[in-house]
Amino acid sequence: MTAWVVACRTDDLGPERVVRFDEGERTFAIYCSPEGDYFATDGLCTHGKAHLADGLVIDGTVECPKHNGIFDYRTGEAMAPPVCIDLARYPIRVTGDMVEIEI
Amino acid sequence: MDETAHGTRNRRGDYRPNKRIAYPPFGDWPAKPKALLRWAFGFPGFLFPWNAIFLGIAGLVWAFATPSMTTMAHLAPGWMAFILGRNALLTLLVFGAFHLRLYSQKAQDTRFKYNARWPSAKNDAFLFNDQTLDNLFWTFASGVVIWSGFEIGLFWAAANGYLRLVSLEAHPVYVVVLFLLIPVWRDVHFYVVHRLIHWPPLYRRVHSLHHNNVNPGPWSGLAMHPVEHALYFSTALIFLVVPFHPLHLLFTLVHAGLSPAPGHAGFERMELGGDASLDLTVGHGHYLHHKFFECNYADGPIPVDKWFGTFHDGSEESEARMIQRFRDLKARSAA
Repeated sequence: MTAWVVACRTDDLGPERVVRFDEGERTFAIYCSPEGDYFATDGLCTHGKAHLADGLVIDGTVECPKHNGIFDYRTGEAMAPPVCIDLARYPIRVTGDMVEIEI
Repeated sequence: MDETAHGTRNRRGDYRPNKRIAYPPFGDWPAKPKALLRWAFGFPGFLFPWNAIFLGIAGLVWAFATPSMTTMAHLAPGWMAFILGRNALLTLLVFGAFHLRLYSQKAQDTRFKYNARWPSAKNDAFLFNDQTLDNLFWTFASGVVIWSGFEIGLFWAAANGYLRLVSLEAHPVYVVVLFLLIPVWRDVHFYVVHRLIHWPPLYRRVHSLHHNNVNPGPWSGLAMHPVEHALYFSTALIFLVVPFHPLHLLFTLVHAGLSPAPGHAGFERMELGGDASLDLTVGHGHYLHHKFFECNYADGPIPVDKWFGTFHDGSEESEARMIQRFRDLKARSAA
């Protein structure tokens, strides 16, 4: 059973920014692309379990702060070693000035 | 100095030198004798500056800071501790000099630094959550000890006649040629050991410690797991079968012990004032290995990475090939 939950406000995120969102035991990363589109992935790197919200967001990718593995946050694809496992993605929508994800 | 005259920096902050990593022109036809001479005697080249510097350090160590063979014929704490202390001091001076200038004083800020960010000071991948403290720990607690262990063991064996020593007076050509072959042997040995510890079970348990340094600094060079140190310094075991002068052994171990400092400096060049700079491109290929993991396993004149398709010369084309190789590998693993 999934539900839409508010993750952040739109003005929490500018282009090429990421914020962390925790819900219960789970943690997520919410991104805004250079075009102003929003994306949501698991919050922890699939390799070193570091919070991706502390990583560098640039050109549609997020770079893990721990070992510099790179993911395409739009597709979840692991793009450069040492990360090999793709990130899980989540549906995301904007309602008013709220960013919501379906989890 | 203006780094844009020597390379470009992308939005991510990665610096890409204009000069590509290249192998010596041995296989070129028609032969290029001038290019070969430039590779052998140029600056930077095969001999200068680094191999000459390490040979010079080994010479000074042999002349002024190595116990006599008579002393080393008997295992005794005094001379063994002396070798350990001398190697620790050498390490502190050489690695420390690079770190002090480039990372403590930040004398040239991030100019010519491959990665525009500074090493992590809060990263739980490292002991004490600090890259430099972690690197110092592994360097001195394991690296210098194992380096000294190989030196003590081999000198003891040589002093007791278990290994065959040669003299410069009796075999001058052999002695000189062996000096020239040592960096080549070190490259071959390093490649074999390096591929071995990238085997996934060994990588996870051993080599990942060194690879935590994705943004390396000088002290990252000898920050290895003890098993990796043992394999790495086993390069000196060649002298179990190859007759040698004691200076060959010192050159091999000084080379293995100190060359990781410039090799992991993280900068393409160190500014010396005005337009003068110390060329550190010797570390560019290995920096790319730390950044991308699956390229440039070797680190010297033998083109093994080119033969096996893992060579990254620093160009965008090489990077694209490497990314494609990574995708192919992922696809194969998922299938």
